[in-house]
Amino acid sequence: MMRVSKILEMAAANLKQRKLRTSLTTLGVIIGITTIIGIASLGEGFRFEIKQRMQSGFELNVLIVFPGSLTAGFGEPFTRSELDNIRNISNVNLATGMKTLASAEVYKENGTRLRALTVAGVNFSEMQQMLPKRFIVAAGNFPSENDTNTIVLGFRAGTNNSIPVVDVGENVTMSASFQVNGTKFTRNETLTVAGILVEGGTAGITNFDYWAFIPSEKAAEMAGGESYQIILIQINDTQKASQTAREVENTFTNPYRVSVFVPSSFEQQVDNILNLLQIFLTAIGAISLLVAGIGIMNIMTVSVMERTREVGILKAIGAKSRTVLSMFLAEAITIGIIGGLIGIVTGYGVSYGLASMLSSFIQPQQQNTLFSAPEREPLVITPKFTLEWTIGAFIFAIIICIIFGLYPARKASKLNPVEALRYE
Amino acid sequence: MSAILEVHDVRKSYRLGGISVSALSGISFNVMKGEFLTIFGPSGSGKSTLLHLLGGLDRPDAGKILIDGSDILELGDDDLAQLRLTKIGFVFQFFNLLPRLTALENVELPLVIAGLSERETQERARKMLKFVGLETREKHRPHELSGGEQQRVAIARALITNPAIILADEPTGNLDTKTGREIVQLMKSLNEEKKQTFIVVTHDPQIAQEAHRTVHLKDGLIETISENSPQARNQ
Repeated sequence: MMRVSKILEMAAANLKQRKLRTSLTTLGVIIGITTIIGIASLGEGFRFEIKQRMQSGFELNVLIVFPGSLTAGFGEPFTRSELDNIRNISNVNLATGMKTLASAEVYKENGTRLRALTVAGVNFSEMQQMLPKRFIVAAGNFPSENDTNTIVLGFRAGTNNSIPVVDVGENVTMSASFQVNGTKFTRNETLTVAGILVEGGTAGITNFDYWAFIPSEKAAEMAGGESYQIILIQINDTQKASQTAREVENTFTNPYRVSVFVPSSFEQQVDNILNLLQIFLTAIGAISLLVAGIGIMNIMTVSVMERTREVGILKAIGAKSRTVLSMFLAEAITIGIIGGLIGIVTGYGVSYGLASMLSSFIQPQQQNTLFSAPEREPLVITPKFTLEWTIGAFIFAIIICIIFGLYPARKASKLNPVEALRYE
Repeated sequence: MSAILEVHDVRKSYRLGGISVSALSGISFNVMKGEFLTIFGPSGSGKSTLLHLLGGLDRPDAGKILIDGSDILELGDDDLAQLRLTKIGFVFQFFNLLPRLTALENVELPLVIAGLSERETQERARKMLKFVGLETREKHRPHELSGGEQQRVAIARALITNPAIILADEPTGNLDTKTGREIVQLMKSLNEEKKQTFIVVTHDPQIAQEAHRTVHLKDGLIETISENSPQARNQ
């Protein structure tokens, strides 16, 4: 049997002989692989970026409980006993309530309004325990238990372009509206700034950059009662997050009373969506490679016809059908290997170009809403090189070349030597 | 002397536009080991068809062909290819060299197909090129060689596997008379020195009588098989 090295050597020589044709055929494969690699590495980069943002926006071991549901609307705030029921669930390590004050505004003494969009009454020590990596002061301190006339500002509430707009120890006025038994009233409180939180950075429910916090006792006193709009739950076993969420729901008799946000399942869903998107886009790349495959079939069929006599000679001097088959197939595989390798390089090149183009398109949002991306942090997608995609695409290129090269190669191998020799 | 080729009542027909055309209609003869045999006849007499059958390039419709004892009708495609590789050498009218390959590479080709090492194929091909007097031409491609030189390369390629039988289909048909004679002389000397069996198809009576025996074909049938006198052979 003919040596593989010799078969490849002859295939390479044959391809070299028809430079233009070979380059054009290879170009098809290059475009296909470039598309696949480009999309894949961009997709992986995008996924990585999104995951990073989600992980900095959420803690996987912290579930967030809201009153009401999407279908029934926001409900009445949670009561103390409802919070205690949640605390009794075995996987719950810690549960703390947050009381958000409606339409609260914070002013400096000179009348400047601070960018505190939400004011919440919290238990500071529980919050530090709940979010040890986020609920940290950059300046000042968290107030002690009996320091009730104090306020802690989120990073952007207390600074502007990282420059403090208010000093620790300074007095600010908080004005909040309440509705008790149908009557609306507004209360103004003078509070001392105890501290300013570190920058949260990324959008997410536990990003408190535009928040301000007051002791829960103070909030209860102002609102006329202890209740919570948000309950944060720290769980021991992240794997059981969904199960714990169900147990939380079960502590309520009315299923519409509560919604539990599970970051890990949210992350899972986002991942699923990204997967689908990537599969869809990769399919487009695969189609372009399929087109390249048809190009290979076309060119090789022509090539086999042109080389009919050569096949006749090879067979006359003793080449077996499978030797002829492997000689032609080797040419297709060579095209696949070369096109695949070049396509991988150009694919990553193109993805970097596309990434910088996309990044300049995606401008950061400027709205100062709770979930908006903070300013000065544009979405930067860095394409990710993954071994799986690289090897996968390379193998796919070769497989496509084999599949589409097989028909013409078989045709060549099945030629009748007498007729092939007669071919002019 | 024993027969290296046995042909028993071989028939072969072709379909041309839906009509069956008989090329060979019952041919029987034997070829002895070391014999130089010519198959002589006008064009359309079935010479080339017969040669293709003798070389295992095609199979007869009926009859029996034994090449060195093995019946080609009983061999599969791969075995037939193996037989062509090891026992048969072909020389064609139009040389049939691969235009892309050098003279040396063309001669090497059967050994390359057989899977021998590069060192061995090159060594043997060089020896063979020297044998046919083309040692200075090994790097030349077919289009850089004269017709006679190309045919010498083709003969070297046919001989490289040291086959028992060499089949030549009008080997001088595309050469001038002088070069044609040289090629015939080369084949004759190979036949004498190496005791290889040569079967040469020709329509040239001059060349036909250079052989030990001549099979005269006409319309797919053997007219006669003539013995050529040594005097006639040496002319």
